[in-house]
Amino acid sequence: MKFQLKPPLKAWRSSLVFRVTGTIVALSLILIWLLGSALFSRVSSGIFNEKLTLSILDAQSTARNTQIQLTFSKYQDKAALTLVFDDILALPPRTFEGTAKEIAVFSFANIDDTFKFDGTSNLLDLKSIPETFREITRESNETQWERADLIYLDGSTEPGIVVGQDLNIAGVGKYEFYVVFSLAQQEKTMTLIFNYLLLAGIVLTFLIGLTTYFAMRRLIAPIQDAARVAEELTKGNLDLRMDFQGEDEIASLGYSFNEMAVSLQQQISRLENLSKLQQRFVSDVSHELRTPLTTIRMASQVIFATKDTFEPTVARSAELLISQIERFESLLTDLLELSRFDAQGAIMEIEETDLVALVKETIEYIHPSQDRIVILQAPNSPVMVDVDHRRIKRIIRNLISNALDHRENQKVDVRIAESENEVSVGVRDYGSGFNYTDRKMLFERFWRADSSRARSTGGTGLGLSISLEDAKLHQGEIEVWGERGRGAHFVLTIPKYAGGSIESRPISAQL
Amino acid sequence: MTSIMVVDDDQDLAEMLGIVLTGAGYEVDLVNRGDEVMPLFTAYAPDLVLLDVMLPGLNGVEVCKLIREVSMVPIVMLSARGDKQDVVAGLEAGADDYMVKPFDPLELVARMKVRLRRSAVEVNTELCIGNLKIDQIEHSIIRDGQTIALTRLEFDLLVALAKEPGRVFSREALLSEVWGYRPATDTRLVNVHIQRLRSKIEINPEDPKVIVTVRGVGYKAGVPGNSQ
Repeated sequence: MKFQLKPPLKAWRSSLVFRVTGTIVALSLILIWLLGSALFSRVSSGIFNEKLTLSILDAQSTARNTQIQLTFSKYQDKAALTLVFDDILALPPRTFEGTAKEIAVFSFANIDDTFKFDGTSNLLDLKSIPETFREITRESNETQWERADLIYLDGSTEPGIVVGQDLNIAGVGKYEFYVVFSLAQQEKTMTLIFNYLLLAGIVLTFLIGLTTYFAMRRLIAPIQDAARVAEELTKGNLDLRMDFQGEDEIASLGYSFNEMAVSLQQQISRLENLSKLQQRFVSDVSHELRTPLTTIRMASQVIFATKDTFEPTVARSAELLISQIERFESLLTDLLELSRFDAQGAIMEIEETDLVALVKETIEYIHPSQDRIVILQAPNSPVMVDVDHRRIKRIIRNLISNALDHRENQKVDVRIAESENEVSVGVRDYGSGFNYTDRKMLFERFWRADSSRARSTGGTGLGLSISLEDAKLHQGEIEVWGERGRGAHFVLTIPKYAGGSIESRPISAQL
Repeated sequence: MTSIMVVDDDQDLAEMLGIVLTGAGYEVDLVNRGDEVMPLFTAYAPDLVLLDVMLPGLNGVEVCKLIREVSMVPIVMLSARGDKQDVVAGLEAGADDYMVKPFDPLELVARMKVRLRRSAVEVNTELCIGNLKIDQIEHSIIRDGQTIALTRLEFDLLVALAKEPGRVFSREALLSEVWGYRPATDTRLVNVHIQRLRSKIEINPEDPKVIVTVRGVGYKAGVPGNSQ
């Protein structure tokens, strides 16, 4: 197993594992967050409500105690009152759970100056009781509560609940009485719960991601294996099979895949055998036909050499014999060549060749005397190409002989043009031409443009088929244009370098 | 009279070859089996051997190797297939030339004549190629006083290159000059023989100095004194 770091976007597009894991992780994150926040808010409101209930009870009982204490106290002046309040404020009783609580007392505005008293326990700042809340408390006869921050004189604050009510002292008047409970403990608990929930969420997400990743990998491994094996099969490594165990769906994929590979291999080897058989047959036919043909040819030539002594009809027969043997021979050669293509037994012998020189030689060979007919237009410098010399020469020879056969006393233009990676040889004649719609048929075996007057010119009818096969062997092509009465244009285009392919055409067949 | 040994398992073809070659003025010995060649070859000592590739007993390529072990006589292979492997195997075994069936008998005779002709002796010409001396009178190649044995064809090939030291010979040019071919024939013939020749005369055939390759064109003679 190898791990590669890919750019995320690329990984997203190219890896199913990555995509599925990513989606599942994202979905579970959302789900866990929703669940977690619901849980958290339920827990926190529960904790708060409990504290609130206790606080209100606590505050009410504290208020009652204070009321009693005040009622039974004997005080006539402010000093005595202060003493009582200081006493109450100095040691605020503990809450039921044993956490700290603070008390604040404010006298109502209408109280006689003698008994005015504003004070808080410990170091609690008077500002801790919000003015708005004090107003609500003053106007109501019920116990009121509100969340407020506890502010201490040293500047520190704590979250808390303020519970407020009135104290009514007979003969003196009303006081606002506030009991302030710290929520620090609850806050701490909540933070702890929050942290645990967060941690649980993260761990859960990570585990889900990890599980998905490995489950997906496990699921996808056979598919990757199948892809790899398929690729190897494509490369021709037909013996490769998929590994699989068990009887699940994946195993059935593996089984079917291997069945396919076996059937493919059988088909291919059957075809290979056929092709070998075909090649063998071709080579046998070649040998068996060629030997008697050689004998016949020699015999005919011996007869032909003495034809002057024959009667005219016998002499003419000898001539016909010779020419037909020649035709038979070239037909045999062409047929064997085509069989080799069909059996895919054609072998290329690539060598670096100057195409200009090759075309010049071919023109000279076909038409040594009348150099005015075939006009070559070629680059001045050599055009070096990697080709099978013999095959390219054969194509050029075929195209030029064809043009000469159909030129009808017009010239034939041969043009060579090159681009960076391709080279074209165009052969244009201005003779009889052909119907443009027939252009595909031209390359069919034994096809003749005009069956009525065809066979006078002598070719085997296989030349263009062979040329096309030769061009294909070079990854090249032959493009054709033609029009009846206006002539024809055949363009061979091949890549300059072995293994290349055609991307542009230096010469187009269309005029 | 020049004698030719014709080795072919097809009796009709062999007989026909006999008729044609006798008509051309040669004395002909016919052999039908590969394994019968060597005893007859030593007995008759022919001036040229026409050798079919497919032979019963011993195939033509093997026969060719056996002949080359004892003689530098010109050998022309007759191949029915014209397939590259056959032809190249024959040439590598030491055949000078080959004809693919069905061949033109006139061309066969013409080629045989080229193989049989003695190079016209040019008096007082001692040619040099690379560090080799070519003695045209003695028909021998001398390097540092030592004679190197070559077939007549190899000798002709070397002489052709040495006669015009500056010229680059295309394969086609060599074919027509040494083998007497018309143009547009198989240039593998040249490649194989250049290789065989190099293995005999070059000190390091991988880095030839006597017969230099001109890429994309052909071959030319190495400059004397420049070889080591």
